[in-house]
Amino acid sequence: MRVGVEVGGTFTDLVAVDEGEIQICKVPSTPASPDIGALASLDQAGIMLAGVGDLVHGSTVATNALLERKGAKVAFVVTRGFRDILFLQRHDRRNIYDLRYKRPSPVVERADCYEVAERIDASGTVIAALDVEAAVAELAPKLRAGGYDSVAICLLSSYANAAHEEALRAALNAALPEMLVTASADVTREFREFERASTATLAAYVQPVIDSYLSRLDRELVARGFSSRFSIMQSNGGRIPARAMRRNAISALFSGPAAGVVGAIRQAERAGTGNVITFDMGGTSTDVCLVTDGKPGISPDTELDGLPVRTPVIDIATVGAGGGSLVWIDDGGMLRVGPRSAGAEPGPACYGKGGTKPTITDAHVLRGTIRPEAFLGGAMEIDRAAAERAFAPIAHALGLSIPEAASAALRLSVANIVRAIQLVSTEKGNDPRDYALVPYGGAGPLLAAEIADEMQLDRVIVPPNPGVLSAYGLIASDFSKISAITRRFVVDGDAPARIRATHAEMEAAARADFASFGLTDGLGFEFVADMRFVGQAFEVPVELSPATLAGLDAAKLEELFQQAHHRIFLHGGSKGQKIEVVGFRMTVSRPLESLPAFRERANAAETPKESPIVLADGNAVSAAVRAAASLTLDAPVAGPALIEGYSSTTYVPPGWQVWRDADDNLTMTRTAK
Amino acid sequence: MTVSPIDYAILSQAILAAAREMGAKLVRSAYSTILREARDGSAAILDRDGNTVAQAELIPMQLGTIGLVFQACAREYDLDAVGPDDFFVMNDAYSGGQHLQDVFFFHPIFAGDRRVGFAASVAHHLDIGGGSPGLSVHARDVHSEGIIIPPTKFSMARDWNGGPLERILRANVRAPLQTMGDFNAQIAANRIGAQRIGEMCARYGAETVEAVMAEFQAYTERRVRAAIAEAPDGTYTGEAVLDDDGLGRGPIRVRSTVTIAGDRIRVDYDGTDPQVATYLNAPLAGTISATMSCVKSVLTSPDIPFNAGLTRSVEVEVPKGSILNPHYPAPVRARMLSCYRAFNATMNALSQAVPEKVIANGFDCTTVACLSWLNDGAYSVYLEIFGGGYGASADEDGCDAIDSPMSNCANTPVEAVDQDYAFFRVEEYALTPDSFGHGTARGGTGFVKSYRILRDGATVALYGDRFTTAPQPLFGGAPGTTAACEIRRGDEVISLTSKDMKELRAGDLVTFRLGGGAGYGPVSGRSAERIAEDLRNGLLTRETAERVYPAQLVAAE
Repeated sequence: MRVGVEVGGTFTDLVAVDEGEIQICKVPSTPASPDIGALASLDQAGIMLAGVGDLVHGSTVATNALLERKGAKVAFVVTRGFRDILFLQRHDRRNIYDLRYKRPSPVVERADCYEVAERIDASGTVIAALDVEAAVAELAPKLRAGGYDSVAICLLSSYANAAHEEALRAALNAALPEMLVTASADVTREFREFERASTATLAAYVQPVIDSYLSRLDRELVARGFSSRFSIMQSNGGRIPARAMRRNAISALFSGPAAGVVGAIRQAERAGTGNVITFDMGGTSTDVCLVTDGKPGISPDTELDGLPVRTPVIDIATVGAGGGSLVWIDDGGMLRVGPRSAGAEPGPACYGKGGTKPTITDAHVLRGTIRPEAFLGGAMEIDRAAAERAFAPIAHALGLSIPEAASAALRLSVANIVRAIQLVSTEKGNDPRDYALVPYGGAGPLLAAEIADEMQLDRVIVPPNPGVLSAYGLIASDFSKISAITRRFVVDGDAPARIRATHAEMEAAARADFASFGLTDGLGFEFVADMRFVGQAFEVPVELSPATLAGLDAAKLEELFQQAHHRIFLHGGSKGQKIEVVGFRMTVSRPLESLPAFRERANAAETPKESPIVLADGNAVSAAVRAAASLTLDAPVAGPALIEGYSSTTYVPPGWQVWRDADDNLTMTRTAK
Repeated sequence: MTVSPIDYAILSQAILAAAREMGAKLVRSAYSTILREARDGSAAILDRDGNTVAQAELIPMQLGTIGLVFQACAREYDLDAVGPDDFFVMNDAYSGGQHLQDVFFFHPIFAGDRRVGFAASVAHHLDIGGGSPGLSVHARDVHSEGIIIPPTKFSMARDWNGGPLERILRANVRAPLQTMGDFNAQIAANRIGAQRIGEMCARYGAETVEAVMAEFQAYTERRVRAAIAEAPDGTYTGEAVLDDDGLGRGPIRVRSTVTIAGDRIRVDYDGTDPQVATYLNAPLAGTISATMSCVKSVLTSPDIPFNAGLTRSVEVEVPKGSILNPHYPAPVRARMLSCYRAFNATMNALSQAVPEKVIANGFDCTTVACLSWLNDGAYSVYLEIFGGGYGASADEDGCDAIDSPMSNCANTPVEAVDQDYAFFRVEEYALTPDSFGHGTARGGTGFVKSYRILRDGATVALYGDRFTTAPQPLFGGAPGTTAACEIRRGDEVISLTSKDMKELRAGDLVTFRLGGGAGYGPVSGRSAERIAEDLRNGLLTRETAERVYPAQLVAAE
């Protein structure tokens, strides 16, 4: 049996797969100690841990530790003269007209920052030697007195030469064995000191939290008879063994969204396509990601709570557009949706928990795409009259009927999500029309066809059980890890040989790393060079396959780069312009032995044949209503239709049709142009 | 035509997104540190007549007047004769531009045969010719500050990509790799804007897109006027001063009289001192930008888009011949400094009308540091823009060590400097304790940045202000702190003035000290917790705390 347990902010989801049998379970999360919720999900599903052969876990523990500022007490050690880099940051503001602007707060205070005398230059040459003994003699008493849990070291140019960081770390480890010491070059080997320092301090901040969380969970699992493989999801969409994660917690900050993307990729592959745009719509926000040939876009950096994090993450764009997003009219008379949300309390007006402000969920109820009697399998009362009352002021202000106002709000929500998709597609030189849309999360399948219409996509693939797709993504994920290194040189006749040498070096390091996990066979490697025109500051990734590498010459390398640059910036630079390589990224992955199947959970609720809905033009029509698991294989149902599943409803507008395939995907295609 | 509210809501945000994408790509494909790291550039979508519709919010100073700068081109040429291959370029301070380093590019946007708008971008260029690399301290007229491009129509096919305009520009700039690369980034940004607007026209029809552009301006105007109407009517006066003109004559006074009547606001700089011989003069476009930035920041919500609807709501009057509206050919390179005093004077006037919405004066300078070195026939030019501490508000301390309100330049990472410049190295970059104005809320701290010179023959040039006059506090707070620049050469310390230039030697340490913002409210109102926090973090020294906040220290012990 394979089990995925995903701890989210509100719910902990479990998916268990065994010989084609599927179990799904959702229990409330226990934010104070998330392991309790995780174990509760195993109990509720009645899983016998002794029979589990593969357990994969994803959690928001690291993210929450940061957002709630409940991480470790961290000391920061930096090159002399630069004690304040975490506070100075980049000297610019996010909101240019805010007179009371506040910077994102780092996770250490100024009082916790210490300097050591040393300097290395950009070539890696030591300009001022580090006297390790003297430095530790000065630092150790202060660090001990400060009562720190961990120490983050970031020395200038350590991306080029990490010798000083490594020497200092070794000496501090010896002097202060109780403290965890993180060197910035271990976390990221890329230039720009503030971003690397920020990443190192965040790593030091969440590491002890994750370490104690995972060791606690591991103990509990073993006590309950578990003796098999235990893996943790990373932000890059790959898993690593839990004990490796205990050394590398920063790589798990965005594991939740990443797991969903992996689940979406697996199901889309079963439906025959590797080019998809994933679209995860929850209560407060929507995450979208572009996947080409089965591979999600990877971004070398991101930020959390305003602080830069330089670790590879699945390139996800997030907008504040969820089911709970508020619909409002601003003081200039413009209709707006989000980014504020009604949250879990009081929630949408139709939940009848005291909410009076209109939300997207209310809009669905008013146009009939959420049927009150079928919401969450009929388990929750829906107050349609409350939704009407909430929408009345909007309708009045716009001079529309209430259903028309609800439709307008939904169209605007679609537009907001489309803009997020444009960020990851058109703005990066990808034509979204070459992709299928894969919606999930509770609210995704309700809007997917309309988003596809807006973006002129021809196909939507709704995976089975879209509400728990992330937990499935955990057990469907491969082992993988991404390493990056800054190596800067101009593209000339020697460049191909240097690139091949770097490739060999990085591949050997990745092999050694995976060997330490016990993974030696069937490894796959991907190699990307980050390149730019000499003088630019931002790099364009150029993928170099083994075949390309073998026959690579300078001209070919220049051509590959110019094509990539042109795709994003609409120009390829002028003739003869010098090009340089700045760094490399290597992804090593080990595919799963076999992929677990994912089936729609049967939904026993009786459903009527027809239900009224309101179309975008204000006309009311009757929609067919079907239970997802009851659809006949490969037999199309024409829109308008509502396909109701256990965890979500799929809306099929007029001009679209839907059918269930052998892997329980619902595929929607357009029948009219 | 009228647009449905929903089409309007969708398209207005899409136009804004197009402007943001232009801005992001301008920065990301740029070459000079001033544009790619400091992000000193901006981008906008204009309507078919050149009124600003949407902007990438990068640099307030450039954003205020993109539309006004365009009008200089519209006065020279028949817009109906502009074809898809045409574009406008201009940087002329005396035909509606700012300083010469800010070069504006405007490309028309066509939907079929119809011109629906213009894509605009502006970038501060590292060096645009003139008397000295990057910064001409001794300029006594605008011609000494660089090449002047009057509002001129060019053709992409004829004049760029090896054509005459490109060849002339390349020959007139000292760092052609960076500067020509940055021009290309501007052109690429405009092309992206044109493509996105073109896509919207194809989808929704050009008429609808144009109607949305008009309504988006009206929307901003409605919201701005509603915000002005909430402020109490009256006439309010404020002043601010510049240290001197760089030749030892000063202080120079800027005076602002703000009249609020219903939903109208008028800002008049009558009483401001005359223009000066040095580069402190602000072209009219700069003064208008400063005024718009102040009114927008103080009176309106940050989510109101900045477009022509704002400029229509605010009337600005500037006496000709004053430092805020000079006669040709006065030099203007450091116009930002005078613009900051216009910003301060107007803020001080508004403090009487809406005390809860303003902040005390911050360090509020653009201090430009320029290190240059001629090596083997090629110039290496390094430019960095420094801010300082923000002024305090009624309830919040000012932000520490950040770029000043009308600019928004990022620093250049020390490791990027290490990679790109062989003739110097950054040795220190730090907050300065005790460098803020005290008060119930304190100003933001200042900071220090030091450069070790590694080669003989390098030069430092700078302009700044507030070397002698500190930021003014509000309502009983204490003034902020002043700035300094010095060279340590062995045991010798050479002090520079705020507008200065010096030859350097290997081994010199050049240090810039930037000041902090002023306080708001009496020091007796400051909480013991905030004092303790600053003490713990070393931003406030024990000695200073005992002198300034004795009552709170006694209470805490």
